[in-house]
Amino acid sequence: MEILVCVKRVPDSAENEIEVKADGSDIKREDLVYSVNEWDNYAVEEAIQIVDRVGGSVTVASIGSPEAEEVVRREMAMGANNGLLLTDPAFEGSDGRGIAAILAAAVRKGNYDLVLTGAQADDGAAQVGGMVAALLDWPYASLVNMIEVKEAGVLRIGREIEGGNQEINEIQMPCVLSIQTGINEPRYVGIRGIRKVAAVEIPVLKAADLGLGAAEVGRAGARVKRADYFVPPAGAGAEILQGSTDEITAKLVDLLKAKGGIK
Amino acid sequence: MAQVIADRRDIDFVLHEQLDVEELSQHERFAEFNRKAVDLIVSEARNLAVKEILPTRADGDRQGCRFDNGRVSVPESFHKVWKTFNEGEWLAMTEPVEWGGQGMPRTVAMAAADYLNGANFAFMMYAGLTHGAGKLVESFGTDLQKRLFLKKMYTGQWTGTMLLTEPEAGSDVGALSTSAVKNPDGTYAITGNKIFISSGEHDLAENIIHPVLARIEGAPAGTAGISLFLVPKIWVNEDGTLGEPNDVVCTGIEEKMGIHGNATCSLALGGKGKCRGTLLGEENKGMRAMFLMMNEARLLVGTQGLGCASPAFLYALNYARERLQGRHLLKTFDKNAPSVPIIQHPDVRRMLMTMKVYVEGARSLLYYVGRCEDRMHTTADADTRAKYQGIVDFLIPIAKGYVTDRCLEVCNLGIQVYGGYGYIREYPMEQLLRDCRITPIYEGTNGIQAMDLLGRKLGLNKGKPVMDLLAEIQAELAAAKALPATADVAATVESAVNKLGEVAMHMGAAAMSEKLLTAFAFAHLFLEVCGDVVMGWMLLWRARVAAQKLAAGAKEKDRMFYEGQIKSAEFFGHTLLPITQGKMRSILAAGSAAVDIPEEAFGGK
Repeated sequence: MEILVCVKRVPDSAENEIEVKADGSDIKREDLVYSVNEWDNYAVEEAIQIVDRVGGSVTVASIGSPEAEEVVRREMAMGANNGLLLTDPAFEGSDGRGIAAILAAAVRKGNYDLVLTGAQADDGAAQVGGMVAALLDWPYASLVNMIEVKEAGVLRIGREIEGGNQEINEIQMPCVLSIQTGINEPRYVGIRGIRKVAAVEIPVLKAADLGLGAAEVGRAGARVKRADYFVPPAGAGAEILQGSTDEITAKLVDLLKAKGGIK
Repeated sequence: MAQVIADRRDIDFVLHEQLDVEELSQHERFAEFNRKAVDLIVSEARNLAVKEILPTRADGDRQGCRFDNGRVSVPESFHKVWKTFNEGEWLAMTEPVEWGGQGMPRTVAMAAADYLNGANFAFMMYAGLTHGAGKLVESFGTDLQKRLFLKKMYTGQWTGTMLLTEPEAGSDVGALSTSAVKNPDGTYAITGNKIFISSGEHDLAENIIHPVLARIEGAPAGTAGISLFLVPKIWVNEDGTLGEPNDVVCTGIEEKMGIHGNATCSLALGGKGKCRGTLLGEENKGMRAMFLMMNEARLLVGTQGLGCASPAFLYALNYARERLQGRHLLKTFDKNAPSVPIIQHPDVRRMLMTMKVYVEGARSLLYYVGRCEDRMHTTADADTRAKYQGIVDFLIPIAKGYVTDRCLEVCNLGIQVYGGYGYIREYPMEQLLRDCRITPIYEGTNGIQAMDLLGRKLGLNKGKPVMDLLAEIQAELAAAKALPATADVAATVESAVNKLGEVAMHMGAAAMSEKLLTAFAFAHLFLEVCGDVVMGWMLLWRARVAAQKLAAGAKEKDRMFYEGQIKSAEFFGHTLLPITQGKMRSILAAGSAAVDIPEEAFGGK
């Protein structure tokens, strides 16, 4: 099975203080430590496991500045077979649909049976997977937390739905799935894996290579534009419960009873 | 959340801008380790450290190790992390690939170790001891010993220890009484009691391989009669399968001030007369083998110190930026002035700057020692190799003794920045101080390091190592003096370097005169001033590189970092180095009160 996994380079929230720029245009990115978006790791791990079971290959693709190459290489060190870097100044300022258009174009250039994305990105809107599927006119399932490969181009997939319930679907390939955390336990990258991919040349595709016109993507093609970015002012009305855990629990139960939350 | 183990920008700066680690990839031995590989390795060490190892630090401290009837269990959270750590093959980063190592440059391994030890060095000790024991097998083992033990140790399937200390043989290893008697089958029967054995017994791995120092019956007294043996917890048959449990019994573990996650064991060898071991290396050459391993072990202890100091600095820095307390000093009398973050108070800045310079200086020094070792592997020229070996030999007591003393001071200041919150368990500071406190003690106390520097290293090869080191420092001074941004501080460092030359001559002569005792009473201060000068050199080197980058038009995002490097050098040069000048005057004055005072006059009776 040929699988494409879309990954994104994001500020690592484990060890970063995220601050918004004074002009509200973006967060301050200068001193941030970056890593691969956590959800995408689960998607790559799942792809590697599927290929281990049924054969094929895993390709990892990322859109971004040339620095995004490091997350592609990182996921290859984890076990993906190939990498693709989609970078072009024309991509800057793309909205979700623009990103999806770039990815869909990359998918068309390959021969993939399955495209995986993370359910969402740390700094994203959980929209790209569905839009890639729509642009390709492929079936799509979101929040996937189980994948079984069935015969004849069909996958049996589990989806996480409200209340912790599970829904099982069969889906025709080729298809796009967005992967929920918890589907597996992503492996860590070891030194051996890094040594293996250190000197690999990662192919770079630009807008022209993908047959995309400048007006379709980037700032020019964006139909959703960020108007402002700010930390909301602290509101009133919150009550901070204090005391030992037992005391807090007792107070919380009383409050919930008083307000009709529990009987 | 801000960075809490080590500042990634600082690590990248030392690796790439100060020490040009990428140059190593031009040599066949390290060809795989190009810039991309190095950056990925550091990223992944950080990833593993932050996400998996760090959560075990407080947990391991609270839970500690448990002893029950000869068995020791490590904190529960260590098991999963140990597995993940070994899957990533982080245990033998610099060792040969054929034995399960990764063949990495030491400099890069230092950067990875910075994160890994900074996350929880009590956990990392299981790996560190295994690595050291493996190194002994690699260097002195027979083909059979290597085949049986090495790969399993370097991959973390089995762990290792080092059995030196006995109740009556601590700093004086030559006093040990563990004995070895040759059996008819060529193995040795070992009998004795060892104490303070880190990772001596635990449930992380199926077997533990103990290198043991013991005296073969009839061997000379003292260090000349000590041999090294390999004693597995469970006997390993010649086909590699596990045999019977050996007669090695853990009789208890210590309740310690810190590093609670690492089991410090008392081990009884041959209590039932059935402890077997094989000779590792040659008879009576055990101490020689130990000495060959010592540089690496002592460098590791320096890294452990940094592993406490670097997080202490970052926690304190983050806290000082957030903690609002008191008005700004210039608005003391303005009742409406708001409370300011304590980082705005001059005394807090003094503490943070002190922490910053020692963390940065120690990081540079430790990586530099690694870089010298890498240079030894990438040169075909025997003189160059000897030169860097000499510099490493000279710097090791500083990298262990001086660095751990300063790191302890950094942890102490970290508590002070937190105030009362630093003293309570809810915050990480008090654990960092407790954990750090062992580093000036073990692997040769810092007093022993000072004696090593004065008694052995200063006069080594007729003083060539110290001369080579001074030549390296002089080259940096020349470069830094040529730049307006660093010329002033370079002059301050130069003055200290020149004075140190005088002090070294004085100490070298005094140590061989009738004033020997007085000289050794100043050995620790001598270690300290040597360390201060090395810090001055490292910080000046950093500042000079930063000044060049600024002059060349650094990117906006790098400006503050480089500015910080220049300020570190200025603070150290203008605020701390004058104190070093005073310490050097004290050494030259050679007051002998500490030696002259009669024991009774200490009082207390």
